[in-house]
Amino acid sequence: MGLIRKLPIYAEKIPGGAITTTTLEKVRQYSQACSLWYLLFGTACCAIELMCTGAARYDFDRLGMIFRATPRQSDLIICAGTITKKMGPRLRRLYDQMAEPRYVIAMGGCTVSGGPFYYDSYAVEKGINHIIPVDVYIPGCPPRPESLLEGCLTLQEKIKKQKLSDWQEK
Amino acid sequence: MTGDELKDYVARQFEGRMTLLDTGRFDPMYEVKVPDLLEVAKALRDDENLKFDFFCNLGGVDTGERFEAVYSIASTINKLRLDFKVMLPRDGAEIESVQEIWPGANWYEREIWELFGINVKNHGNLKRFLLPDDWDQGHPLRKDWDAPDFIRMPEL
Amino acid sequence: MGGLRTEEFIVNMGPQHPSTHGVCRLMLTMDGEKVVKIEPFIGYLHRAIEKICENRTYAQCVPIIDRFEYVTSMSCNQVFSLAAEKLAGIEVPERAEYLRVIMLELNRIASHLIFYGVTAMDLGALTPFLYGLREREMIIDLFEMTCGQRLTYNYIRIGGVSRDIPKEFVPQCRKAIETIRDKLNDYEGLLNENPIWLVRNKGVGYLAPDVAIAYGVSGPSLRASGVKYDLRRDDPYSIYDRFDFDVAVRYNGDCYDRYLVRLDEIKQSIRIVDQALDGLPEGPIRAKVSPNFKPPAGEVYSRIENSRGEMGAYILSDGSKKPFRVKLRGGSYNQLEVVPVIGVGGLIADLVAIFASLDVIMPEVDR
Repeated sequence: MGLIRKLPIYAEKIPGGAITTTTLEKVRQYSQACSLWYLLFGTACCAIELMCTGAARYDFDRLGMIFRATPRQSDLIICAGTITKKMGPRLRRLYDQMAEPRYVIAMGGCTVSGGPFYYDSYAVEKGINHIIPVDVYIPGCPPRPESLLEGCLTLQEKIKKQKLSDWQEK
Repeated sequence: MTGDELKDYVARQFEGRMTLLDTGRFDPMYEVKVPDLLEVAKALRDDENLKFDFFCNLGGVDTGERFEAVYSIASTINKLRLDFKVMLPRDGAEIESVQEIWPGANWYEREIWELFGINVKNHGNLKRFLLPDDWDQGHPLRKDWDAPDFIRMPEL
Repeated sequence: MGGLRTEEFIVNMGPQHPSTHGVCRLMLTMDGEKVVKIEPFIGYLHRAIEKICENRTYAQCVPIIDRFEYVTSMSCNQVFSLAAEKLAGIEVPERAEYLRVIMLELNRIASHLIFYGVTAMDLGALTPFLYGLREREMIIDLFEMTCGQRLTYNYIRIGGVSRDIPKEFVPQCRKAIETIRDKLNDYEGLLNENPIWLVRNKGVGYLAPDVAIAYGVSGPSLRASGVKYDLRRDDPYSIYDRFDFDVAVRYNGDCYDRYLVRLDEIKQSIRIVDQALDGLPEGPIRAKVSPNFKPPAGEVYSRIENSRGEMGAYILSDGSKKPFRVKLRGGSYNQLEVVPVIGVGGLIADLVAIFASLDVIMPEVDR
């Protein structure tokens, strides 16, 4: 395992050496992107659209995504629904329990910026990006299942652009 | 019993304890004084012709000068509906708990204690309910409540 | 056995848990395998809808109240519009009333199909989830054809409905309810006589009728305990007194009966939609309501029969264009209040079955 981690660093130092790691990178990118397992985390209205996207008509399983009940076995958290001030620390704890590499999709207007509850609400967190780092934002109230599928495909493209050296320990 | 018969019956049985207000737009709205609350509630539930056994709603109102607690009850046997309210002062507002009469009122009373500050005697479980555990910014549903990160919608 | 010391321990269930419908936290005190005490902690979805409504005009309140109970969002619109119409004395035209009834009953069928799928998924059966949501998509197509939205409709407004149905609606609606009526045989065949389903649900979570009424439980959970109380029959609102339907009642009060009552209710709702489509008149779809809607000062409490129980809205108006106080009441609030009473004494697995059969949705509890 130590060799795999150190190989890209040494390969970059030799001129033309990066070609040795491209196949390894491709394997890693494809295996990561095409089987994202997401945590069942739906708080509010967007959770129903998440369920509908996983059901018969718009299928999540064809993208390789299946739901898991615990954060220890998942590598994607689709945060669907309003996050309140009471729920914020629990979301942070769930994110900390996930193993790296881990990704976050913010689904729906409430997770992007507070949504319809931005004004006059004393208990809503106005956006989740100051609790956990977000990779893809999906606007909508609630977003259609096609939007959610587009968001997942965007995340897959983002993963396919990551290099091996991004996954090094700094 | 129709609506007018209900009003006559209540006027006869509860004379002096329930006064009819004119603010009720569909069902009759009565006012009950704070010391009479428990015995009026018990009589409403046990009376043979009324039998109000179903507890619908308890809401608090902050009118600016005083607090009000508005009760809504219904009868599943006689198919009737009735509202009544209790007027409370803003400082030191206290009411008796009605949870021995209608056990469903337990959580409603906890909620008005937390969001308005109306104290409920003999409740036994007045703890944090809807707000975060470390909330220290007062009672939010009061009309004069404010906080630094509370953004009001601007007038269009 | 002499010398063996036992003590109780505390297990925390939630707020993120695949079987709590939404974000609810239950602290369970266990004595071995048996549950001794349950304490619910709520408020993880408290979005302060009531405070928001105090700073919006009546028309702006309707889409916010949509999010109060998003699975049956037409009912939320209906209860608020009913209260505002009672305050101002507005009369709704005939065609609008019929359209409202059609949409409300279709929404009730959709909500019960979600109940069917999610309850089975909680107990480990994954096929009913796919079946139920597949049929629900047919109903969602009808809603999308009418008002453009799949989940939070903002369709039933104060004074009527917001737009008229297109001409493809009626034939497609008849086809959809015919399909659902046939597929109900499939649903019943999957689960009704299934030995695992019977063992997990029959005799579990008995709710006595007097306990149910004392705690304010209403809707299908109350009717499964033998109390024939349905607001569409006993306190009719809108035009429900013109339709011929039965009130579905069962008498055993356990989880199995709560499941059967909801399947019966789907059949009765199909009957109502059929009758409403037959009798749909022509005419305007909205009464004349000024854009500066200001009802006179007063207060009103209006209630309707939702798929989860009695849903109520209390509005206090002071004569201005914004409501002074809005208090919402949802059926799930009281059903969650009764879980510590009936869930005690069984296993945690029974608690999951009870929680699923009462059909609790957290935003109705937290608002």
